[in-house]
Order: sequence, then C-alpha cells, then structure tokens
Amino acid sequence: MSNEKFRDDLNRAFDQVSGSSNPGLGDRVRYAVTQAPAARGPYWIAAVAAAVIAVLIVGVLFIANPLRRPSAPIGAGLPSPSASAVASPTASPEPTATPSASTAPFQCATNYGPVTQSGPVVATISDVKTGTHPGYDRITITFNNGAPANFEVRAQSNAKFTMGASGQSVMLLGDSGLLVVIRGADEHTSYSGPTDFKTGYGKLREARQVEDFEGTVQWALGLSGTACYRVYVLKNPDRLVIDAQTP
Amino acid sequence: MEQRPQALARASQGDADSFSVLIEPLLDPAYRLAAVMLNDRPAAEDAVQEASVKAWRKLRQLRGDVGSLRAWFLSIVANECRMAKRTRWWSVIRLPDMERQQGDEPEARSDLHAALLRLSPDERLPLVLHFYLDLPLDEVAKTLRVSPSAAKSRIYRAAKRLRADLTLEEVF
Repeated sequence: MSNEKFRDDLNRAFDQVSGSSNPGLGDRVRYAVTQAPAARGPYWIAAVAAAVIAVLIVGVLFIANPLRRPSAPIGAGLPSPSASAVASPTASPEPTATPSASTAPFQCATNYGPVTQSGPVVATISDVKTGTHPGYDRITITFNNGAPANFEVRAQSNAKFTMGASGQSVMLLGDSGLLVVIRGADEHTSYSGPTDFKTGYGKLREARQVEDFEGTVQWALGLSGTACYRVYVLKNPDRLVIDAQTP
Repeated sequence: MEQRPQALARASQGDADSFSVLIEPLLDPAYRLAAVMLNDRPAAEDAVQEASVKAWRKLRQLRGDVGSLRAWFLSIVANECRMAKRTRWWSVIRLPDMERQQGDEPEARSDLHAALLRLSPDERLPLVLHFYLDLPLDEVAKTLRVSPSAAKSRIYRAAKRLRADLTLEEVF
C-alpha cells in the first residue's frame, strides 16, 4: 500500500469518526471564555505561598523527627524480593530520609535485577533529575503513584544504545553504559521535563530516555570509565535512584 | 497574521476578545483531535470548550511566542480528553451517541476504521496529529511533550498497529 493511499484511507477513517465540527462551537467557546475569569495574580501568589508553607512544614518535620534513620538500599548486586520491604505500601509511614552515600557498596560492570516487587500496574513518572555529589553522580526517577513493580539495570561496556521504539542506534557521551529498564511505567502523562541530560559531570556524562512506549520506560546512562553503580528505591516520594561511582 | 503577537499580548493581560481571536482558528483541529480521541462528538465539543477555558486561565504559562500556541493548546485538549475518558465510566450516556451508534455509520466502516477504534486514545493521538492535522514533526513532539525522535517512534508504532506491514518510508 502506498504512502498516499494509507494516508487517504486513514484520513477517511478519521473523518468518519469526527464528522464535521459544529459551526456553533466557536460561539460556545467564546461565551465560556468570557464567563470564566482569567486566573491572575492572587491564584499564583496563593500557589507559591502554599508551596513555601509546605516546604517549611516538611523541613521542620524532617529536622525535628527523632526517629529519622537512613533507609536501607536494595542490596547492590542482590536483586532479591527483599526489595519489596522498601517499596511496600505496608512499610513504616515515617518519612524516609536520604540514605548515606557510604551505606551501600557499588557493583561494577554487572547487571542489577530484574527486581519484582509490589507496585502499581503503571507507575507514573513525575520527575527525572541528575546531580553530582562527592563520590558519585546520581540520577533520580520519581513516581507519583508508587514505585514500579518491575525494573532492572543492565551494564554494558560501551555507550551505544538502541532506541526502544524505532530500533535506531544512539551513541551517548561516555565509554560505558547502564540501561535502566522500568516495566509497567509511563513517562508521558505526568512528566514534561528533559529527556536528554548532557550533564557535564565527571562520571555520569549523559542520561537519555530511549523508550516510553507500551508501559516500558528505558533510560540510557552514558558513563566515563567502568560502570560502577548502586541502586536504591526510596519512599516519600517514591523514587528510583542510581548512583554512579566517581573515582 | 501580523496582529497575532499583539493579540497574544492583549490576551495575556486579560482581554478575552483577543484570546477568542487567537483560539478561533484552532477550534476545528482541536475538535477533530478530541473527536478521534474520544470517539464521541458531543463529548469532544465539551472537551474543546473546557480546554479553551483552561488555556485562557493558563495563558501566562505559554512558553514561547504565538507560534507555540497551537501545540500548547492541542496538548491541553489532549489532556482534557484523557480526563474525560477517566471520568466517563460513571457519566450518563448521551442520546446523540446512542443514535449515532445505531445509525447510519456502521455499515460504512472500513477495516482501518475498526482498527483505529481498537487503539487506545493515547495511541490515536500521534496519528491524528501527524496524518489528520498534518502537523510537522516538531510540533507533534511539542504537543506530545516528548522529543521529536520519540514522537516519530510513537507515530510509527501506532501506524504499525493499524497495518503491520507498513514501512517507515510509508509513514513519513
């Protein structure tokens, strides 16, 4: 079937579904807009004020909480079901603190997982961040409805990856790599941030989304030198953390 | 066309008439997008109206110039359709829908039409943007809020769901 024939047939099918738009839609929208007040300063100021208050409350609780303790990372190199203890909804409701960087060993050039644990059918990604710290560079993938039920990290000796949907190859910065595979995840509903971070860090040179399709999200990490890393699942908010060890 | 930037500036300062002038040419593509995503014409009109009001309220969040308006508005419409889909299970079935479902269309439906309706709304979205609205790839990407390469992948994968033997060249 030619390109044009496919397009024509498809557009005919679209026409059948949509029909023609109601000529009165413009008037209806114009009326609705004139009746709706435009959101202005007070709403914006209220939102900022609420955010500041929330941050202050969380900060005070975090500092004052005498029960605060580091959450254990999922054992590096040990992708066991014990991971569910960290991500389980039955875990302690106390806010979980960021673990100490020195509490988990790094694993080098070996795969991690797949980890299977309790979690939502589709874990919705709401944020992706990178950062550099003494001893490691970090990528954090945050979920707004619970940690993913299935994920793994694959190490590789080069920074060449395959775009999941198209099958095209892509070369990231760096000379080794990690492929973070999250099954039962969605990155297009609640996340609109960058999908390619060229970090400028010493170890984690680049992080790039290579798939977000049919419930599978993959992030490729380009690293300089050997891929020594560790993996955490943390709560409050639910997030998957990968630290790449710096020399 | 030269007046659109000024209309955007006035609309950003709260001029509803200027906003209506800006949004008017986008209503037809917005309706067609919503109608295909929802497969429900009255619900599509509701979604476009609601998206227009939201766009009016959030106009200051528009990044870029007036050229970014279409992709930004269509992404709001798509979100509105997703919300409508999520809330429709408890809503009342509309009479026009029932009439349409029992009416004159089914016998005219093609295999492609049936295959299209088997796709999820989020799978139909890239196809509508690329084939039906004929948006350039970078604008499809902005509407989907993904990179151009990811947008291309989504279009191709969804098209392959309609016809498995399609090649990349036949889609783009």
